[in-house]
Amino acid sequence: MLPYVCKLCLNLKIHCIDQRMFCTSSLLSPLQLPSRTETHLWYVLPNEVKSEPLIKKYVDLLSPIEKENVFSMRGDELQKLALLARALVRTTITRYQICSHVSPRSLEFRKNAHGKPEVCWQHSDDWHPPPLHFNLSHTSTLIACGITIDSPIGIDVEEKQRRMKNNILSFARRYFSREEVERLSAISDPEVQRQEVIKLWTLKEAYVKALGTGFSGAPFNTFTIRFGSANPNPDAKDSAVVIVPLENQTNLTTNWQFAQVELAGSHYAAICRENDGISEGAPMKLIVRKTVPLVEEHCVL
Amino acid sequence: MRLLLMVAGELINWHFQTQALTKHSQFFDTNYKPFSLYNIPSHSSCSLPLVVFYSFPVFNSSSQISFPLLFSQSSMASIAGSSTFMASLSCHKPNQALTRASNFNAVSLAINGKSFPSLKLHSAPSRLRVSCAAKPETVDKVCSIVRKQLALPEDSAVTGESKFSSLGADSLDTVEIVMGLEEEFGISVEEESAQTIATVQDAADLIEKLIEKK
Repeated sequence: MLPYVCKLCLNLKIHCIDQRMFCTSSLLSPLQLPSRTETHLWYVLPNEVKSEPLIKKYVDLLSPIEKENVFSMRGDELQKLALLARALVRTTITRYQICSHVSPRSLEFRKNAHGKPEVCWQHSDDWHPPPLHFNLSHTSTLIACGITIDSPIGIDVEEKQRRMKNNILSFARRYFSREEVERLSAISDPEVQRQEVIKLWTLKEAYVKALGTGFSGAPFNTFTIRFGSANPNPDAKDSAVVIVPLENQTNLTTNWQFAQVELAGSHYAAICRENDGISEGAPMKLIVRKTVPLVEEHCVL
Repeated sequence: MRLLLMVAGELINWHFQTQALTKHSQFFDTNYKPFSLYNIPSHSSCSLPLVVFYSFPVFNSSSQISFPLLFSQSSMASIAGSSTFMASLSCHKPNQALTRASNFNAVSLAINGKSFPSLKLHSAPSRLRVSCAAKPETVDKVCSIVRKQLALPEDSAVTGESKFSSLGADSLDTVEIVMGLEEEFGISVEEESAQTIATVQDAADLIEKLIEKK
């Protein structure tokens, strides 16, 4: 083995490595696609990605348009974030045992009618692409990608310590529904209140992204997110979260399930996907993996 | 319609301009002098004739056409009495108008949210092109709100052309910026309109449109 790979060995949890690790085809053993009832969440911490050669490898994976977008970002940090986001999506999707001709570089993407990105599979007579859905979200310190089979997915991540520039309750009144504002106003501790506002924001954002219609298709004050128990506790993922559209909202479907997790001790993440009809009322089967694309991964949770 | 717009983008001669403006402006007297209309002091450096890009009257206000760079819907609908238009043409800040105008030799038009390919305008150094878009003060205010929200340093370049996404604004930043703009300008922005804002200039133009409607 080459010396530089040896250095990586200490960090790697995968046993099968050699110098071909940095090539386009990863030697990490292929993963099974999530089942219809599972949701996979992958995340990367940009601050842990420092190797220049690795970053160059990521640039090589991108399409010309993606490269253009990445380099149009203002400043090195933003460019690195944009680059890692694309690299994460490409490498994550191809981690699964999909097909021999699918590689991170060969994947193509398109946007749906409302601008939501989706995979544009190469169709051929003898191969049917998997019904894979993905959704990305990022902050300046974490990038996450959710993967499902056969179900639209929306995710959103926010830093736990995020400070709003506006007054918290003014913000809530402007964007949330009346019922939600009442619930949030009733919280006496300002810090807990701020955290609940952020968590509610991620839930709503995840829902809207799962719907795929964008922010304007489902303005946040046209639906309420209600928690199953009378007093929503911090372990919200254990209580059923329901969508309650306000009157006259015919475009808002309610057949969705949510999960909320904390990632890396620093972020709130909300995941929204369709109810599969099988696990009624049970918490979402969520598998979370922390990764450095092309290099390593390990299961968290 | 595209053909009409392309023709509108060409240099308009004084005769047409005079006629068009006469129809819609209350401020004309029979001895029309463009400089007196626009309060341009005679000693100013704006001795070049002002050319106004004016669209044909076929575009009524219900056609929902917005011209992010050169036009604003409010100025199309009524030039007379529009303080926006007057202010942007006044030579109070001649250099700013000059600088902005001279940078534009390509116009991208967005109609009903769809962008059309840029139109190349012939550069004509002898004429000064003046934009009818949002006032520079509005753009400056938007820039400062954006800077504050994104915690950008004072010297960072934030201009009308800056895209929110390129500056690193995520969804929460964007809605906070919209909130800040609503408070600053006393307007209310619908989510549908907020989605169309991609640059600082878009935001400034939308603000002026909403102020106009009030």
